[in-house]
Amino acid sequence: MPREVNGLKFLSNALATPEQLTSSSSSLDGVPADLETSIRFAGTQLTQAAGILLRLSQDIIAQAIVTFTRFWLGPEGGSLRIYCAKDVSAAALYMTAKLSFQPTSPRSVLNVYTFLLSKEASPLWFVNPKGLLKGPVPEHYHLTEGGYQAQRQVLLRIESVILRTLGFNTHVALPHTITLTYLQTLGVASPEVARRAFEHLNSSLLSPQLLYTTHQPNALAVASIYLAARENGVKLVDGEWWEVFDVDREDLGFLVVAMQSMEGFARAESEKWKGRMLPLDTEEVDAEIERRRMLEAGE
Amino acid sequence: MSSSKSRWADEDPEAEVIAAQQKREKDEKRRAKAEKQRQQEEQAKLQAARSQSANAGPIGDADAPPTKRRRLSNEQHQQQPTADANSQPNQGKSSLLQFPVLEWGPCRHVDNFERLNHIEEGSYGWVSRAKEITTGEVVALKKLKLDNSPDGFPVTGLREIQTLLEARHQNVVYLREVVMGSRMDEVYLVMDFLEHDLKTLLDDMREPFLPSEMKTLLLQFISGLDFLHSQWIMHRDLKTSNLLMNNRGELKIADFGMARYYGDPPPKLTQLVVTLWYRSPELLLGAETYGPEIDMWSLGCIFGELLTKEPLLQGKNEVDQVSKIFALTGPPTPQIWPGFRSLPNTKSLRLPPTHSAPSSGTTPPLLPRSKFSILSNAGLQLISSLLALNPASRPTAAECLKHPYFREEPRPKPKEMFPTFPSKAGMEKRRRRETPEAPKRGQEAPKLDFASVFGGQADGDAGETGAGFALRFG
Repeated sequence: MPREVNGLKFLSNALATPEQLTSSSSSLDGVPADLETSIRFAGTQLTQAAGILLRLSQDIIAQAIVTFTRFWLGPEGGSLRIYCAKDVSAAALYMTAKLSFQPTSPRSVLNVYTFLLSKEASPLWFVNPKGLLKGPVPEHYHLTEGGYQAQRQVLLRIESVILRTLGFNTHVALPHTITLTYLQTLGVASPEVARRAFEHLNSSLLSPQLLYTTHQPNALAVASIYLAARENGVKLVDGEWWEVFDVDREDLGFLVVAMQSMEGFARAESEKWKGRMLPLDTEEVDAEIERRRMLEAGE
Repeated sequence: MSSSKSRWADEDPEAEVIAAQQKREKDEKRRAKAEKQRQQEEQAKLQAARSQSANAGPIGDADAPPTKRRRLSNEQHQQQPTADANSQPNQGKSSLLQFPVLEWGPCRHVDNFERLNHIEEGSYGWVSRAKEITTGEVVALKKLKLDNSPDGFPVTGLREIQTLLEARHQNVVYLREVVMGSRMDEVYLVMDFLEHDLKTLLDDMREPFLPSEMKTLLLQFISGLDFLHSQWIMHRDLKTSNLLMNNRGELKIADFGMARYYGDPPPKLTQLVVTLWYRSPELLLGAETYGPEIDMWSLGCIFGELLTKEPLLQGKNEVDQVSKIFALTGPPTPQIWPGFRSLPNTKSLRLPPTHSAPSSGTTPPLLPRSKFSILSNAGLQLISSLLALNPASRPTAAECLKHPYFREEPRPKPKEMFPTFPSKAGMEKRRRRETPEAPKRGQEAPKLDFASVFGGQADGDAGETGAGFALRFG
């Protein structure tokens, strides 16, 4: 490989192949596509929430979400009928933190996940659809010593499964820092634009279009700036400035639409699962598929 | 903690059977799907061929199923509300940077390789020579040691893989892929096979390398190191046995078991890195933050070793190592190393009264000429700066590459002219060498008592060093 390409490695990611995008292990196992999308969406939110409670910085959380997303892609990826989304979320976060400057312990991770997955105490809408009536009761999210030992085994086993599935490729480049550099290059001093761009980048992590596995960080950065500037009424330079950052119009257009559609997608998801729990482990997935089969048969 | 057996092994045989069953079923489905896809593609090709006969267009492979991206792009062009959207299309299409095409996929099985012979066992794994069965290519296979650490997959192994995958450079050993055995705890790194390591080579040579050869080796080593540092990777275990050579005169840095990313400002890191003989004084004195300068110190030690074929500073333990260092460089003074007194392990360090050391400003003093008699002045200047006690005085790898030493006569020998040597690794098991091992992870950094470094409360052998030391000052 020539050296120029080497320098780019730091700023670029491995992307999903067309084959990985067209078929997944879960779909081969009979998981409906919309269910898979919903579970992946919930799993990324779970990872984000856990990362915040673990006080990890956003770059670690974002990398963990990308790793989580990659895991399910392609016929050789993980299947939702074999691996629990909640376990993969926890293991991805644990592993990413381990490699970072802010490692965390299995116990902290499992404590946080026990809380977030508690059907009574969780603040997450897809785990606890009833919502919190009173404050959470500690008994509802207490992790027993036996439970800890058992779940620790699972956590560490799934960590190895992720590594094997991804061929030990743990590298994730993020668009956040280059977004700031691009903004400076464009002479945009407005903190609102920068904040809005980051909001788009962070919500794109949850995108059903899997933007972080289909586009390089520079394209994500440019699209978030384009959108943020427009939303804030800040005028950018004339001309096709995105080409300066090696993004063509077509990719930019796709990304802008995808980022704009996030809000609608999130609303539709919470509408769709209103009052119901989203299946985050294999048993619940099996039950949901069975439920849909019965419904179909009944009609 | 609880179970002594590998945690990755599935303990329940029934679960295994079920998993195998599931896998079989899935494979079948996958095959069926692939078959269907193949048929569709064939049909598409047929159609394409038919339409092509009418209008000789591009070849049919472009008819592969359109991606999502493509489909949306048409609407997009109208949607984009930029002012110049419909201005004339760019003539000559501006050229955009092409990113490297990288993918991920599951690990292959180690059965794709046939093991030929064992090469060596290091602290982080077993290395053997192997042949890839389909291609016949000879590779080095390194099995990682995954002792049941309570934290899951050892972070050192993860870092080794991560840094090696990132560090693509002609002077860094090439990690081809990671493969696994049947069990989750069998992880192998597949790397290019190189015939020699510098340590074994030096041991077997009757004469050291010629100055021109040494420059070729050093230049390759330093440019590899420069690349690593430019990628924010510290190696943290540079020594002659981790520098590999092939029979084409090429040198590559290997064994990233201790390597990791660092930052600016440097994060707090373990001091238990670098094999003792190559460990820098700030590490020995307990610095909690350090940077790539520790690699530069190791480089200085290796430079010295290339000159004499003998490791430069062979301490028996940490304390002895410090005294050997000071015997070579002279004791640290506040002039040459401001702030060394604040390092944790200097409390007990008693320095001999300084004979108004010839403080030559900020540049580190030259090492004794007698030690490196065959070296030119420029060479002596380079090694002295690399072995500067004060890490801030050591040059960076990039600065080393520009050093006059490499431009003066004799010039570096072209790689093609390099002598070849019989390979030990290529043939059979090697003898164990006597270099101390790299420090083990997870140990406590020892509280060291350096009182005896200068023979203060001397026990036997430290006194000897003290005496030798006094000679130089007397």
